[in-house]
Amino acid sequence: MDIEKTIQKVWPKVRRKHLFPQIPLPKVIEGGEEVALEIKSKQLLISNSFFEKLKDVMEGEEIVEAILDHGITHYMYCPWDFHTHLTLYNEAKKVVRKKDLAQRATTCFMDVVADTYCVKGKDTKIPNLYKNLHKTGIHEVLTSLYEKIWGVNLGSRGHDERINRLSRIPYLERKKWEESIKKFTKVIQDILEEELENEQESPQRRPNPLGEHSLDNYSLEEIDRGLREFASAVEDLQEFKETVEDLKEELEEQGYATGGMGRGRGNPIDANLLYYMKLAESYTLPIRKLPIEKMGDLHPHSHMPWEIGKPFADIDIWTSFGKIIPGITQIWKKREGETFGELEGTPDCLIIIDSSGSMINPRERLSYAVLGAACACNAYLKNESRVAIYNFSDALRGNKIILDFNHEKERIYQAICRYFGGGTALDLEDTQYLLSRADNPDIFIITDMQITNLEKLIEFFNQIQNRVTAVHLGHNVHSTRFKEGTEKRKNISLFNVKEKEDNPKIILGKIKEYLSSTSEWG
Amino acid sequence: MKNPFESFHQVGGRKREIPLDKILQSKEETLSKILNGYEHLLKNEAKDLVWLMQYSTVIKAYSIAEKGLEGIEYTAEDIEEFCYALDRSDQIPYLITGPAGVYISALCNYAKEEEITLHLRDLNVKVNLTGYRLPPNKKLIVEGNVGDFTGIGLDGGELIIEGSGKNYTGAGMKRGKIIVRHNLGFNTGHGMTGGEIIVGGRIKGLGKIVGGKIFEREHLVFPNEGVKPFYF
Repeated sequence: MDIEKTIQKVWPKVRRKHLFPQIPLPKVIEGGEEVALEIKSKQLLISNSFFEKLKDVMEGEEIVEAILDHGITHYMYCPWDFHTHLTLYNEAKKVVRKKDLAQRATTCFMDVVADTYCVKGKDTKIPNLYKNLHKTGIHEVLTSLYEKIWGVNLGSRGHDERINRLSRIPYLERKKWEESIKKFTKVIQDILEEELENEQESPQRRPNPLGEHSLDNYSLEEIDRGLREFASAVEDLQEFKETVEDLKEELEEQGYATGGMGRGRGNPIDANLLYYMKLAESYTLPIRKLPIEKMGDLHPHSHMPWEIGKPFADIDIWTSFGKIIPGITQIWKKREGETFGELEGTPDCLIIIDSSGSMINPRERLSYAVLGAACACNAYLKNESRVAIYNFSDALRGNKIILDFNHEKERIYQAICRYFGGGTALDLEDTQYLLSRADNPDIFIITDMQITNLEKLIEFFNQIQNRVTAVHLGHNVHSTRFKEGTEKRKNISLFNVKEKEDNPKIILGKIKEYLSSTSEWG
Repeated sequence: MKNPFESFHQVGGRKREIPLDKILQSKEETLSKILNGYEHLLKNEAKDLVWLMQYSTVIKAYSIAEKGLEGIEYTAEDIEEFCYALDRSDQIPYLITGPAGVYISALCNYAKEEEITLHLRDLNVKVNLTGYRLPPNKKLIVEGNVGDFTGIGLDGGELIIEGSGKNYTGAGMKRGKIIVRHNLGFNTGHGMTGGEIIVGGRIKGLGKIVGGKIFEREHLVFPNEGVKPFYF
């Protein structure tokens, strides 16, 4: 039986075994003799050459079933999603420090987990497959490991001490995968290094017979979601940056750019921007819409009985049965209509961000100021409003970025992430200029309040009617002064951010008169 | 009425036991026994979470550790697991590096293997007293840095530290060899009467040495003309 017919015969059985995963019917590719399987965006591709080669020693149906079990378990169990893949890669990289080695270690670990899961929980032919695959280098070690932990004879020998260590890893405990992959990588590190060295001398590489795990396995949506989850999970910016820099080429080849998903080649990926973008997506800041206005027109609202003296014009002839008799005849009760008026919806927003020396450099560590500004930016852009940026340190000496109102997320993020260092002074003329570029925009300012001309800023805010959301990082005398100076203004809300989790507490454009008396200040 | 999901019973629920399950179970059981022995030592020797490093307290702690380990079957990997368990505060109520070091030394000294390698590079704490009383025909290799009093009272074994040590390394050692790839701290070899300490990097200071040999970057620094044997 040829491979296509074999797949069609085996596929329903395999699908049922794995409880009907949402993946399409596997396809056949000519491929090479060495690699059995490729996965591209959930599509399993089985190599015909591999199948033909192995058919001499193994039943065709068994080959296909084992390959499909392996492929589906990657989809159903490990890595499951792109975030888990990135996390495992990140942990392996911490041990080996090299991209190639980390990728290979991750692939091996995911194979061990997936195959062991399958062997333990399903009726699978995977052991038979390994029995008939080549056993050299790392694959020899892994086959010996399978022998020990599955309890089947696969014809592999040696590496006792290494296998002892590898067999003590709890592969099926998902919660321990991060720790487990580190242990796993440490044990196989020297073999991987040796293999890499040999390949550099002679370019022939013995590939993983069950396929490599690359970004091809994932769709752009999955990559986007995975990066978002990864940004929230990593301990710091550097960790995210290192991983994204490693995978930059593959991401770009897939068509992923800093601005997100899309067709064609986008701008080169800037890991810093991407980090703040993805992290900000995890925090949704609500925006208070501007209050609705009475329009003055009356419209029919409900019925009431007609009485003598009430206008005939309001009689509803349909519900009055054509009669004009008090008690039976109904008239329309009218109410004043409401509308959003001219300022309907969310206004544009001017984001003022302090990037002076007292603030954290967003390209070195997680900056709450940048994260806060990014969250605000997202909130306004989602509401189809425009955002302008005023990024300043010592603005009077030219250390500032003025970005006019626009919808371009990447440009806005670039402006937000720029770090100047140095002194802190606002040029209020710039602010006035930007405010004049939109119709009564909101203002979002984020700073530690250690501003040289803070008094002028307070004075300025006391004069304007725009809604102001002021966020200060940490408490100091300056933030207290700002609070006192703007206390009487109902259009200014002040928030304190101590950690990134404080960001969602901010309500943009919140106006005090809409809040209860226990409004959270400071 | 027929259960529509009946045919799936065979498909989803079957999970067979594989040797991995037994290996992991046995690992957990051994670790738990080793931890019990350690907690017993702490209850006896460090009730108030204070442990004074003295000649008599070390000897007493070691004899309690020896008793605590009676009847436990373990391997070098179990010792390593224990070291990492010490590092994780959620598993051990408290870590006191002195008794912990004595206990780890006892574990190594009574292990079945003649050569033990502990991969401790990722350990956050630096364990003191590693290799205490390491007997002849035993080789202990530690990958990573260690703390104070490493290899004290060494009794013929070979201790290799693939990292750096701190103060009082090899104090009171009688025979055997300590090889340190990188650096050592003050009072190295204090009171040692025999054996060799070979250091690949620098030694901050020597102690009062009675006998034996100490090499620093392949140069004999004890005995030599500037440093004479000390007589207590």
